[in-house]
Amino acid sequence: MINIDIGATAIAILTLFGIYSLMAISLNLEYGIAGVPNFGQALFVSIGAYTAGITYTRVLPLLAGLESVHPCGPTMGQALQLRSEIMAAQPLAGFINLGLTFLIAAIVSGAVGFAVSYVTLRLKEEWFLALVLLVGGETVRIVVRGADDFICSHNGISGVAQPFYFLRDPHSSSLLFMLLCLALALVAYVYSQRLAHSPYGRMLKGLRENEDVTRGLGKGISLARAQIMLIGSAIAAVGGVLFALNTGFVNTNDYVVNLTLDIWVMVVLGGIGNNRGALLGAALIAILDRFTQVGAIALNMSGSEIEFNYVRFIAFGLILLLMLRYRPTGLLPESRLTTNAHDVVRRAIGASNQPPTPSRHRDGGHPKHQGGGAMRET
Amino acid sequence: MPPALLTTSLVNSIQIGSLYALMALGITLTFSVMKLPNFAHADYFTAGAYAALIVSLSGAQNPIAIMSAAFLVGALTALLSHLAVFKPLESREVSLYTLILASFAVGLIIRYILFTMADYFNLFDLRIGIPLQVLYREGFLILSNIFAWVVPTTIALVILLTLLLNATPLGREMRALANNINLARVIGIPVERVKNSTWLLVGGLAGVAGALWSLQTAVNPLMGWAAIISVFAAAILGGLSSFSGTIIGAYVVAFSENTVILFLNYSFGLDLAYKPAIPFIIIIAVLLIRPGGFTQLLKRGGKLQR
Repeated sequence: MINIDIGATAIAILTLFGIYSLMAISLNLEYGIAGVPNFGQALFVSIGAYTAGITYTRVLPLLAGLESVHPCGPTMGQALQLRSEIMAAQPLAGFINLGLTFLIAAIVSGAVGFAVSYVTLRLKEEWFLALVLLVGGETVRIVVRGADDFICSHNGISGVAQPFYFLRDPHSSSLLFMLLCLALALVAYVYSQRLAHSPYGRMLKGLRENEDVTRGLGKGISLARAQIMLIGSAIAAVGGVLFALNTGFVNTNDYVVNLTLDIWVMVVLGGIGNNRGALLGAALIAILDRFTQVGAIALNMSGSEIEFNYVRFIAFGLILLLMLRYRPTGLLPESRLTTNAHDVVRRAIGASNQPPTPSRHRDGGHPKHQGGGAMRET
Repeated sequence: MPPALLTTSLVNSIQIGSLYALMALGITLTFSVMKLPNFAHADYFTAGAYAALIVSLSGAQNPIAIMSAAFLVGALTALLSHLAVFKPLESREVSLYTLILASFAVGLIIRYILFTMADYFNLFDLRIGIPLQVLYREGFLILSNIFAWVVPTTIALVILLTLLLNATPLGREMRALANNINLARVIGIPVERVKNSTWLLVGGLAGVAGALWSLQTAVNPLMGWAAIISVFAAAILGGLSSFSGTIIGAYVVAFSENTVILFLNYSFGLDLAYKPAIPFIIIIAVLLIRPGGFTQLLKRGGKLQR
């Protein structure tokens, strides 16, 4: 039998929940609210992780007042030891380094997202953006893996310690790290809720529903799309930094298309267009993730030949297909959009409290593509 | 660039380009007839490769038998994914993004079923039981028996496909679906039957490509996914609508990945690690400059040409 430390398991799940929430909120802002199909989430998450890999090897020693050692090749072990010593002995340098990492990651990722969204303007069909993002993510990953000096090609960077490592006590340091992840997720959630319920958020939803109408109402749609990509990508990169710190190493193999799909599963499962749904999806996937890890160990110990980690991906694929087929609105469907003015008017005319059912989201997608209409004909 | 290397890389370009062509034709066909950019296509290819490997390991070394098994497995996988996933979703008229997402999920499921199987039966990175032989040697030009299987098979399949598309009732019906599915339904074309046949054809082509690929390199569950970007680049060069454009596109992509990168490496010292960026650059460039690919370049309108 395996002993499960309930406290440690809870901390691990909640940490993962915080990290996944950031990623899911980011995709929900982009696709759920603004309708930009980001099939390259792994790219933006990986930008965060690669930034952490670079700052931990190049910036951290400078902050600690020591000479940096080349992280790859023959000096790899020495560089790893240097990082660990600094993280253990100089918490201040660690925190400043982490702050810088968040900042650089968010700026770089946001800039990439902003630039990518401008590509859409020139694309003939909208799904090309999905292709560009997907292919871009894979290409960046393969090139980074092939390049020697960046994050040590396929070896990756290990010893990317989380900032509370100096406490020495694994329990309290991981507890504090969990709180950091949850705090950042909370900030992102509050921000995205405010954004979704602001006039700007309603404009984004209008953009999602019908681009031409939104443009006709005098809104600058290309800038709006670029802005939401900037915000979403920055949030995803922050999630990526935390993801790397949580696993302790940066390796290109973690940022494959499967990660993008995981994030899509969270959003589709929770409810497209609903930030609370994104949180619910992130929580469920974090629990499932942990469960499959425990299951894999238990299965291996019981002598089974089946690798449980593969079963995890099959299960995720099935969840996605079943949700798309039977409950496209997700577990928490997007609520009806109301404004204060709307409520006031309804009360004034004494309308019944039976709102008409929203027409959107019969398929969790975008009505402009529905039907055998325009999209299928062109 | 030394002539020996140049010749070898050109032979490689033709061999790999042929395999890209077989896969990319399937993507073009799915996109034209079904209006679906199918990312699970890569995994029909892998399924075919595994079918070929298993047949070969079980004793049959006849390439025809191996390819037939791969065709069958690829075709059935594709048909199953249509009947179980795409058809019910299409009947609910979901958005294109939902379909793309579903095709990802289908690919994921096939890929990890293959992983589980390969893990259970120890089938990682095995080679098919047909040994590599040199058939022809003239100066720097070396042709192997694998080349002799890959290229003629591709040419034969492309000719058959062209005939099927242009000279049979099924081909005519497929083109009708590609043009206007509602009109096709109204004039009495059995839409569902034509779609099923198209899926069988598309999956079978991918399966054969997988079998041919397994002649040249070891089989693993990620091989299809590793090729998908290049294959999409080829299909996009063909404008996702033209057969000849897709075939030219496949050879252009293979040529850039094998010969051009070596040339750049020799002349400008470009690191070979940047090879995977080539199909990406092709995709971005085509989508931004000429979204219609070669079709648009040749100024011929219309859908699904030969």
